[in-house]
Amino acid sequence: MTEAVDFNVARWLEAQQEAVLDAWMSDIVSRWKKNYLHVVDTEHLHLQSRQLLEEIRKLFVENPNEFWEPTPDSKIVVLIRSLSTQRAKQGFKPADSTFYVLSLKRVLWRRLLQDRIAENKVALATCLAMIENVIDRLTLLIYEVYVETRERLIAQQSLSLLELSTPVVRLWDRVLMVPLIGVMDTQRARQTTERLLEAIAKYEATVAILDVTGVPVLDTSVAGHIMKTIAAAQMLGARVVMTGISPDGAQTLVKLGVDFSVVTTRATLRAGVAESLLLVGKRIVAVKDAP
Amino acid sequence: MLESVRVSISEEIHSAEARRQALLLAQHLGFGRTDAYYLATAVTELATNLFRHAGGGEIQLRTLTRQNAVGIEVIAHDTGPGIANVEQALREGFSTSGGLGCGLPGVRRLMDELEICSEMGRGTRIRACKWAAIIQTVERQC
Repeated sequence: MTEAVDFNVARWLEAQQEAVLDAWMSDIVSRWKKNYLHVVDTEHLHLQSRQLLEEIRKLFVENPNEFWEPTPDSKIVVLIRSLSTQRAKQGFKPADSTFYVLSLKRVLWRRLLQDRIAENKVALATCLAMIENVIDRLTLLIYEVYVETRERLIAQQSLSLLELSTPVVRLWDRVLMVPLIGVMDTQRARQTTERLLEAIAKYEATVAILDVTGVPVLDTSVAGHIMKTIAAAQMLGARVVMTGISPDGAQTLVKLGVDFSVVTTRATLRAGVAESLLLVGKRIVAVKDAP
Repeated sequence: MLESVRVSISEEIHSAEARRQALLLAQHLGFGRTDAYYLATAVTELATNLFRHAGGGEIQLRTLTRQNAVGIEVIAHDTGPGIANVEQALREGFSTSGGLGCGLPGVRRLMDELEICSEMGRGTRIRACKWAAIIQTVERQC
């Protein structure tokens, strides 16, 4: 009995390390090779996993009895964080990313059950509980980091989209153009208004073309935003010509009862450009002796 | 009832998802382009209302069949403060939020059927239907 209680997981793991690593790696590689063949560098994976296994062994040495709680700056947490971030960026599915440590648990359990220790139920239970506690916490950590990484990516993308989609273009002297593309929410509308007003002031523009061809649906909220933008532009002395309302959009706006009668509208951007140039006393004419 | 889609609305951007789902369903059922646009706009209006007035809610889209017609039922449901006066909310130009005040009356015109059930402090349930071929306009209130 006493010799079984003395059984040391850390020492056991040290002796088993190579065999565990081999079984673990063959399990992982066989699963990952299918989907991530091009991103999995087997040599690097081996190195990383050996390091992780070593850290887990150290954990067992440091916490032989009590349950381990991860601290944010411990070496193992940093290690798990870096590899989970890396995998999220490489496009691993969350299940495949967590499978990494779950596979290690399976390997350790199988080997433990085959060991002499399995005869002593109390010692075996203690070992299994220790392993389970560590692996479970690592699994949670991997998942957490995975979601964090993806969320950061999404936040970055929506920021880039916001920057992409509200350009104010100078079409001619005193004529600006704002092509609205995509969903107009409150944030986008505010940004568009700001940029348009800045540009009106900067170029002393007197006409601004607001093209809504790229707005999927013109509802009262979008219409309200556009009205406010137009009112603000007019206060700076610029007239707004609105273009690109589709036939369906026009019918819908009438049904909604949105009153755009105070705004100059043209069906196409082409007509809008002609109208705007006229407003600043310009006209597009054909070159007589063009080739 | 062949299909049912639920979109939970808690942020402004979610109304775009509701609109996309409505358009997909309308295309799938063979709605005309204008009718599909009407439906999509109405769904956007209702979703925006959920976000703006009730702090969020849910849009549910369902396929309806009746004799030889197919339609789409939109249910906007929330557990927000409720509408104090439904009559007033349906009136042109009335707004409590500084909007244009033509959202709900607009939805009534864009859709074929509109039903509003609201209880102060409990929430609001708005049911609106659009039929692929307009048969008759029914308006009810409860």
